Amino acid sequence: MKRAILYVFVMSLLISCSTKKEVEYEVDPVAVAASGGDKNNQKSTTEFISIAYADLFNTEISQTRLVNLSIAYSSFGDLRVIEDRIIRNFLNDTNAVIPASISVSGDTSVFISNSYKKFFNREATAFEKYQWLQLIRSNPSTSPLTVYYSLMTSDEYRFY
Amino acid sequence: MKRRDFLKKSSIATVGAFAAPYLLPSGRLFAATGMRRVNHVVFCLYAGGVRNLESVHMNDGNLMRNMFNGGGGISADIAGGMESLPVSPLAMPLQNYGTLFKEFRYASGPTGHYNGHTVALTGNYVDVDLNIREHPSKPTIFEYYRKHNSPQQSAMNSWWIANTLGPYPALNYSKASGYGAAYGANFIAPTSLISPQGFDVLGNPRNFSSSEQAAANNMRQFVNGMFNHSYADGSAGVVNTEADSVLLQQFISTLYSNAQNSSWLNAWGAGLQVMNNDMYNILFAEEVIRTFKPELLVVNMQDVDVCHFNFTSYANNLRKADFAVAQLWKTIQSTPGMANDTVLIIAPEHGRNFQSNTSIDAFGRSALDHTAPNDPNFSGDPNLTMARDIFCMVVGPPSVVRQGQVINTVSGESTEIVPAIAELLGFETAISGRFGMKPWTSCDLQAAFV
Repeated sequence: MKRAILYVFVMSLLISCSTKKEVEYEVDPVAVAASGGDKNNQKSTTEFISIAYADLFNTEISQTRLVNLSIAYSSFGDLRVIEDRIIRNFLNDTNAVIPASISVSGDTSVFISNSYKKFFNREATAFEKYQWLQLIRSNPSTSPLTVYYSLMTSDEYRFY
Repeated sequence: MKRRDFLKKSSIATVGAFAAPYLLPSGRLFAATGMRRVNHVVFCLYAGGVRNLESVHMNDGNLMRNMFNGGGGISADIAGGMESLPVSPLAMPLQNYGTLFKEFRYASGPTGHYNGHTVALTGNYVDVDLNIREHPSKPTIFEYYRKHNSPQQSAMNSWWIANTLGPYPALNYSKASGYGAAYGANFIAPTSLISPQGFDVLGNPRNFSSSEQAAANNMRQFVNGMFNHSYADGSAGVVNTEADSVLLQQFISTLYSNAQNSSWLNAWGAGLQVMNNDMYNILFAEEVIRTFKPELLVVNMQDVDVCHFNFTSYANNLRKADFAVAQLWKTIQSTPGMANDTVLIIAPEHGRNFQSNTSIDAFGRSALDHTAPNDPNFSGDPNLTMARDIFCMVVGPPSVVRQGQVINTVSGESTEIVPAIAELLGFETAISGRFGMKPWTSCDLQAAFV
């Protein structure tokens, strides 16, 4: 009888100690980054110029150029008109680093993704990627230059 | 409801609907009722501090021959410091085309350049607490015009053209509630923008084809739609429509192109060595006039402020500014759409002191500051408030402005210019007395008009 009780006790113990199988969700790891909605601060004039220059030339803007740009900036009342012109001057500079193709190894979505990280400091959402692909496919005039131009003259590029 | 009651009530409702005031986009119940006297006003701030002694009183002869009748030759001791200028582009001095107030006044507040500009553009005197890093606290004439003129006009119709930067870009709109950038004027400081430095950073833009531009606009529109802030809600300065922005870009390109052409720069025949900042500012203002034919344009000059250090150069720059004003009037009268439909108002922002400072120029003349009312020697002597004494000239079509009239008595003040412009463009009744502004019916400037 004693052996039977001991047997039942040991078996109960073993059963209660059995490992529970972990549930695994088949989702890829996702890096967390700020979304466009978190950008509430407007870049100052100097920040806008310096960042735009660094984004396109991969180097810091010289003090002389910064001063010249600041003077030009203050000389016209519609800042969007002047910013548009500043960006188009940057884009026309042969030293600007602009991809030759709108796809990276044949993949346009990688170009979009890289451009968003470069200019907006965030990943493009799935919806944005989808829409961009539609915009690019539906318009043969789209080039890396026009994409860079549209991103750098957008409202989001003016905020951080 | 009985048939008779129904008919009675429905007819009352119908009459009521026709009689009820309409709410216009501007928020006003009715369109402005004032009649326009002209369709264009140009206000030239002959600024930098001009003393009546050298302008209308001609103590050193007539230094402003393009504007004023009479007066003798320039004082012999400073004549050698005067540069040669071409003959007047006008058939007779400007005062003959309108009314001259010889004793206009900048009656109150510090006699500083920015103060004077702010007073001239807001119609309100300012005090020592004026913040030069902010837009004015009271609406500018540009905002009154764009908000209250009926129908409302775009910024392309109102321009503020400044000869320098500093605080002056802030004068194209105020921070007053209900006004601001949405009603501001287009601002340009042409001698800063169209300069070697400006060309270095703005002179060689990438030009997109129309299909590229359309593609870029589509993409930007999508990106902006995904973002929850708009840059154009006041922080981007005055806002023009997309179509107007294209015109402005073309205009800037044209100015850069013109500025590389010495014959354009020397269009007045004065010689490039004679052209100063004031003259170039007016030259660029003329291009704005020819291109956009604005209904309201304000342009300034300030090179006479060299008087702090050099009296003779001040006298010389008074002559250059006088020549530039004559060119300005000639351009207005040569521009279809503005000729004979424009009133030009000319006034300094303030005067200069009677007492000189310690700087003496090469011709032995003492320099002058503009310090009233803080002159340490102030003792009630009118000479010590000379920095408040200015002139005002109003020229325009004979059917609108009294021709050849000179008012020698103390009459009119700086705060009357904003109501005068509003009256000329037909919206004074909509803004009369607002923000402490002098009502037009109380203004001495009325005497200038038919």
